[in-house]
Amino acid sequence: MKLRTIKYMIREGFSNTYKNLLMTLASLTMVISSLLIFGIFLLVTIILSFNLKQMEKQIAEVVIWLDKDIAPLQADDIELMLKNDERVLKCDRITKEQAFAELNEALEDPSLLEGYTPEFLSESFRLRMKDVAQIDEFTEEIRAVTGVEDIDFPKDFLDKLSLILKWINAGSMFILALLLIISVSIISNTIKLTVYARRKEIGIMKYIGATDWFIRWPFIIEGIIIGLVGAVVSFVITGYLYNALETYINSEAVISGMSLIRMLPLKDIGGQILFVYIIIGVVMGTVGSIISVRKHLNV
Amino acid sequence: MIEFKSVTKRYSNGAIGLQDASFTIEKGEFVFVVGPSGSGKSTLLKLILHEEVPTEGEVYVNGFSIHNMRRSEIPYLRRGLGVVFQDFRLLPNKTVYDNVAFAMQIVEAQPKEIRRQVPVALALVGLSKKAKAYPDQLSGGEQQRVSLARALVNNPSILLADEPTGNLDPAISREIMYLLDEINQRGTTVIVATHEKSLVDEMEKRVISLDYGRIVHDVQKGNYTNEA
Ligand SMILES: Nc1ncnc2c1ncn2[C@@H]1O[C@H](COP(=O)(O)OP(=O)(O)OP(=O)(O)O)[C@@H](O)[C@H]1O
Ligand SMILES: [Mg+2]
Repeated sequence: MKLRTIKYMIREGFSNTYKNLLMTLASLTMVISSLLIFGIFLLVTIILSFNLKQMEKQIAEVVIWLDKDIAPLQADDIELMLKNDERVLKCDRITKEQAFAELNEALEDPSLLEGYTPEFLSESFRLRMKDVAQIDEFTEEIRAVTGVEDIDFPKDFLDKLSLILKWINAGSMFILALLLIISVSIISNTIKLTVYARRKEIGIMKYIGATDWFIRWPFIIEGIIIGLVGAVVSFVITGYLYNALETYINSEAVISGMSLIRMLPLKDIGGQILFVYIIIGVVMGTVGSIISVRKHLNV
Repeated sequence: MIEFKSVTKRYSNGAIGLQDASFTIEKGEFVFVVGPSGSGKSTLLKLILHEEVPTEGEVYVNGFSIHNMRRSEIPYLRRGLGVVFQDFRLLPNKTVYDNVAFAMQIVEAQPKEIRRQVPVALALVGLSKKAKAYPDQLSGGEQQRVSLARALVNNPSILLADEPTGNLDPAISREIMYLLDEINQRGTTVIVATHEKSLVDEMEKRVISLDYGRIVHDVQKGNYTNEA
């Protein structure tokens, strides 16, 4: 394709977008509403899975019990090994004395412990993992270490949580794809109206000997323009709403002293959201245009 | 240049467009295609344009095989053909000049070439003064001249006209027909489907007569009824 043809097509694309202002606005509205629905859904998914991950991290405490009669040096070795393990985020050693003190505090009637010494308790480590997903593999390894008596972590709960996360991911992928298909078909129907209004022109171009791509390109450019503008407008609206929600949740947190939901800061996910909007907007515009011109090219 | 070999065109609803038609048109000929309404005149022109494809038989146009052609070749076939219709088919939002220039932009002509050729084509059809007008500011005859200029501006070797004077009064029809003749004198092959009995008789060109899709006469220097 020659440079002047490309220029011609871009000029046609822009001037058609402008000339059919009403249609452009109609398509734009479609793109923006689709993107907003899409975006809200995407954000809910992101925040939900982020919060579940946070929760998983908080819950995922591993407690390693040592043999009651372990030699202190051996316990030191195990502590060193755990602290040097790359998968471990944090490791606290709970001595028998500390455990005894904790137990004392936890019991309502301290007299129950009369006559006992800390010696009857086991020493233990309390760990946090960097990545909760590694917890199974890690605990398997540690269980085999001599001196380790037992390992405790909320396995059932974590398994359920990761299953829920998987379902949320799969489900949201499915719904996002569905939304995308619906959006493309809505926008292609809107563009169809502009194409229909220009079917005579398309017919004449075909008779004169224009190639299909020559006819298609200005429509595609029109679609891309609408998609891009729609993406940017949607992003601005999304950002505004997101900030408002974040402010609200934070102020609630200040009042009640705690917060059930944690929001990711917009600057961390804004780039991704804009990127996704632009990709989807442009794809919607392009595919929509191609679909709507197709029928009229068969002359 | 154009060859029909035993061509039959049956439409999907069963209607017969053309029935076992064979003829050849050489470069530089002027041919009238006549016949009653529904006899297949438009079908014949549509086959040349690859707007329709033959059900049976073979059609050759400028070296293209219409009966066996890839979709991507169609634009290149059409660039060698100029077409004029009864309803002019101009773009209402473009000026006369732009309507004609449009035909050159579509085939990716140089801007310099466009600036040179468009005035030539407009002069040929006698519309130089109306270059800046819009189609709805022109009479029917003038609009048909614009559509002729558009058909000619890319120097097609064949000009197809389907009832080009169908919407025009007799005096204007005559002007348009003689303009087609003039274009033919310059070397373009011209094929005109028409109901203009008196003009066909007057101009003494080759006449192909159709009836129910069949060629009933094909006479050099013929007349409308072709009954000697
Ligand atoms: N697209 C189509 N689908 C079905 N039948 C068609 C189609 N086009 C034409 N026909 C039929 O084919 C036959 C020939 O039509 P055609 O248009 O070629 O006639 P014509 O000679 O041009 O008539 P007119 O003088 O009225 O323009 C007619 O019976 C017509 O009804
Ligand atoms: Mg006809």
